[in-house]
Amino acid sequence: MITQVDNPILEIHDLIVSYDQSPVLWNVDLSLPSGKLIGILGPNGAGKSTLIKAIMGLVKPSSGYVKIFDKTLEQVRSRISYVPQRESVDWNFPASVLDVVMMGTYGKLGLFKRPGKKEKDIALSCLDQVGMMSFVNRQISELSGGQQQRVFIARALAQEADLYLMDEPFAGVDMSTETAIFHLLQEMTAQGKTVIVVHHDIHSAMNYFDWMIMLNLHLVASGPNEKVMSEELLRKTYGGKLNLLTKVTDIIKQKDFNPLKN
Amino acid sequence: MMTFDQNAFLIILTASLIAISCGLLGVFMMLRKMSMTGDAISHAVLPGIVIGFFVSGSQRGLEVIIGAGILGIIATLVIDWLRQKARVQLDASIGITFTLLFAIGIILINLLAYKVDLDQECVLYGEIAYLPIDLWISDSGFNFGPRITYLAVLNVTLVVAFITLLFKELSLTSFDENFSTVIGLPTKGINLALMSMVSYTTVSSFEAVGAILVVALLVVPPATAFLWTKKLMPLIQLTSALGIFIAITGYYCAYLVDSSIAGMMVAVSGVLFLGTVIIKGKKSNFTFELPWKKSRLALEDKTL
Repeated sequence: MITQVDNPILEIHDLIVSYDQSPVLWNVDLSLPSGKLIGILGPNGAGKSTLIKAIMGLVKPSSGYVKIFDKTLEQVRSRISYVPQRESVDWNFPASVLDVVMMGTYGKLGLFKRPGKKEKDIALSCLDQVGMMSFVNRQISELSGGQQQRVFIARALAQEADLYLMDEPFAGVDMSTETAIFHLLQEMTAQGKTVIVVHHDIHSAMNYFDWMIMLNLHLVASGPNEKVMSEELLRKTYGGKLNLLTKVTDIIKQKDFNPLKN
Repeated sequence: MMTFDQNAFLIILTASLIAISCGLLGVFMMLRKMSMTGDAISHAVLPGIVIGFFVSGSQRGLEVIIGAGILGIIATLVIDWLRQKARVQLDASIGITFTLLFAIGIILINLLAYKVDLDQECVLYGEIAYLPIDLWISDSGFNFGPRITYLAVLNVTLVVAFITLLFKELSLTSFDENFSTVIGLPTKGINLALMSMVSYTTVSSFEAVGAILVVALLVVPPATAFLWTKKLMPLIQLTSALGIFIAITGYYCAYLVDSSIAGMMVAVSGVLFLGTVIIKGKKSNFTFELPWKKSRLALEDKTL
């Protein structure tokens, strides 16, 4: 169940990524529409983060290519924003919340130039959007997990991009923060931005995403939420993970979700 | 009996400058979790020094610094390559790389011994006490003063300029390397530039304090300062202040017991670090148990 679109914002063609000769992504071939909130779903080790990293050029694909806005990554770097996994950095680093969010503006600033008033204003307005205004001068080592996640999202906002790639922004985040962040992401897509999120919670995925990518080493599905959210595809994605699968079935039953109805 | 004369002043000044240069670079090495890479570089530059010495015929030539700089970068690249391509753990790849390069340096010294007035002792230990008699005398016979002091002034100027110019890049690449690559900053280039500065500083300082003690100045003052502050600018300032304090105290301690100045400087910094750990260890345990502080943070979380 793979829906291709015309004039895609992101096009991935026959992508294969391997670590140490063992492939972690097989023949991923998809195209994504712009202005949508897009979720990447799949079990642990399905290659979700690898897909994001391959799009951002952080891992080299064995074959295939990625095109963004119909151009190569190098040509459009300033229009893409990235939220890495929270655990990928050491939060003991001596920086304030404002320092970290300002880092989002460094790409446009270029080498040697110091961030000034304009960059500070951008950073402050981004902190406001994620509701972290009262933490501006707090050291990042003193933040909770959910606050760290908001800081990372604010830093991505400060890049003022058109396409946002977020790797597990909801990991270790409580329900109210998750809802708040989802509303923020929906506002962003309403303004025409495209947001791609690696996610693992099927329940909230059904509620919030417009488009869904299901991944388990190979691409299981890519298409509008209502078309791909079926028990069959979820079973294919989550494979032998029976425990999880029962939970999924329960959720689908609870929601009285029937893909054939539509 | 404490004395303060011109020689004492020059030695303390030079030692402070070296400690500041090393400390400033050391802060970023520490934040990158690369303190031991600094150690590796300070040893791996030996073959570069020998080759540079052999080519230029003098210990003071520019060739020596260039040779050492190249070897420092080679060491960094080999460590990176071993870690990423050969899948060797970081500590193992550091151990393999710098011992190998250092051994090559020692073999070269022995092979070229008849041509090169250089021995392992000089590179490893250095002796800042000889500074006042190692003068820079121009061809016309004018005496400019101690040569190593000039080297230290030049070194600290370049290090400060480097860090001022690349402050935002250095902090971003230290905090989040992937992100800096993604937004298009030359992450690898900045990393190599920092490693070159460390190599250059090592060579510039080895006559005065030796390669082993350079490592101590790279690692200990930043580590001590980081226990006191969690902000970057105060961290840098405190590291520099500690460098000056270590130089002064080290000089007078060495004077009192008539021992090596560089050795005493490192001993002083070690004692400072230990003292900090003991004080801070108690204190942080104490704050850790403050229940109202925890609940205040939790409360702020809830209001979000």
